[in-house]
Amino acid sequence: MNIDRDEARRVAELAHLEFDDAGLDRMASEMTKILTYIDQLREADVEALGDHDVTVTPLRDDEPRPSLDRDPVAHNAPAWRDGLFVVPKVIGGE
Amino acid sequence: MSDLLELPWSEARGQVSPREYVAACLRAVEAHDGALHAFLHVNQEAGEGTLPIALKDNIVTTGMPTTCASQILRDFVSPFDATVVTRLRARGAAIVGKANLDEFAMGSSTENSAFGVTRNPWDLDRVAGGSSGGSAAAVAARMVPVALGSETGGSVRQPAAFCGVVGLKPTYGRVSRRGLVAFASGLDQIGIVTKTTRDCAEVLRIIAGHDPLDSTSSPERVDDYAADLARGVQGLRFGVVTEAVERLEGEVRANFDAAVQVLRGGGAIVERVSIPSIVYAIAIYYVVANAEASANLSRFDGIRYGHRSERARTLDEVYFDSRGEGLGPEVKRRIMLGTFALSSGYYDAYYGRAQAVRAKLRHDFARAFERFDYLITPTTPEAPFRIGEKADDPLAMYLSDIFTAPANLVGIPAIAVPSGFDSAGLPLSLQIMGRHFAERAIFRAAAFFEGETQFWKALPRILAARGANRA
Repeated sequence: MNIDRDEARRVAELAHLEFDDAGLDRMASEMTKILTYIDQLREADVEALGDHDVTVTPLRDDEPRPSLDRDPVAHNAPAWRDGLFVVPKVIGGE
Repeated sequence: MSDLLELPWSEARGQVSPREYVAACLRAVEAHDGALHAFLHVNQEAGEGTLPIALKDNIVTTGMPTTCASQILRDFVSPFDATVVTRLRARGAAIVGKANLDEFAMGSSTENSAFGVTRNPWDLDRVAGGSSGGSAAAVAARMVPVALGSETGGSVRQPAAFCGVVGLKPTYGRVSRRGLVAFASGLDQIGIVTKTTRDCAEVLRIIAGHDPLDSTSSPERVDDYAADLARGVQGLRFGVVTEAVERLEGEVRANFDAAVQVLRGGGAIVERVSIPSIVYAIAIYYVVANAEASANLSRFDGIRYGHRSERARTLDEVYFDSRGEGLGPEVKRRIMLGTFALSSGYYDAYYGRAQAVRAKLRHDFARAFERFDYLITPTTPEAPFRIGEKADDPLAMYLSDIFTAPANLVGIPAIAVPSGFDSAGLPLSLQIMGRHFAERAIFRAAAFFEGETQFWKALPRILAARGANRA
């Protein structure tokens, strides 16, 4: 699989990661090398195994229980005011 | 008191007060960690405990930092303890410190730590392995008797092998992951590093068991894992994975063949077994693990905790700039690969295909376990490599997990036990894999091997010099 700069840019945007052009080129070339190795999976002999042996994770009952204390949560927040996380304006900016 | 720390935990704990045991560990950290850098945080307030322990710094703890060796969590202090930490504290553990790792446990050398590499106690120019390199080096250098690490593809066993200590990856679901910062949730499992098999078995009994806060933790009964340590291997059946040993050469091969002879000497039946799909393990691993990682690491967005870029003015800039500044190159590479493998147009060809081949791998292992009680390989294809040797070649680094990643993909338990040294005096290791939840059985086999060989008693060079002075 060959990844070029445009494809690397597309993936970076999906992943919320920013690279400059040189960074994108380096990433594209590393991804190409690794994906070329991964492409050997195409040759694997996957005979009919029926359904994949899926084990379903049991879910616990959805019952209310105590949540985290606010103080240590606030302590870790990059921006916090009046018990709320502060973020840049989302609507109507710029 | 340095002799105290050379004893296994199970022997030392009865010979000293809990206060003195912890103090001895803190003194050892003071003496050796300047050279090794196994610790990211040393807890001078560790106080007293019958179990002084180091925790990989992706296991969350109240009252001290949890950084995952990442700039993005540089100042993070968890509001809660991981379930394993709660269980350990209840049993008298004292947390001596938080151990270094590859950032977010992504790596095989601890070179990806944002806070500097951990050095190998046997040779300071070589890596301690990874990603739990700090945990393994801390135990190997006798700074703590026990450390916890975490595994996604071999991150406890590989550094344990490189540092000449015992490393266990339990069955997937055996130990709660609550409070282990998620890398690949379907593969991650907390593991244990100790000097001896007995110590490892006893610690597993403390941390194993179902946890209502981790739905993937198993309700399977917690066993007496040390019950069979003295029973030997007479009549037990070991399968040597043909595809793994075929590609071995030189001293690693000779060391493995010698290990097989030790098992045969105890009356074990050792035969070759083919697991054809094992050659695809690394390819499967780097699709599945990275796909899960790309989703898990989306939580690091600069909003609720962790680093937020100073220059971000819009919400998008908060995401892109905070992640851009806070995440290191290997983490970004894996997020990119995982995002690609899950993206529209490639999902079936990569993620779907990897899961199909993974099902084949599980099938091949299940078939092998119909004939054998255990499957064995060397833990790593080589002795510890030099710092910097693979830093510019991600694929070469990935291949150092070639023998360990299959157990994570299949979900089975596996242990790394010291198997001697190469001609340069570097540690080598035997890997013993067992059936799901057969930890008691793998401890039995490992204890026999350890008892016959006694390699665990050898002191790494950083300490051997001191031992020579003392004598």
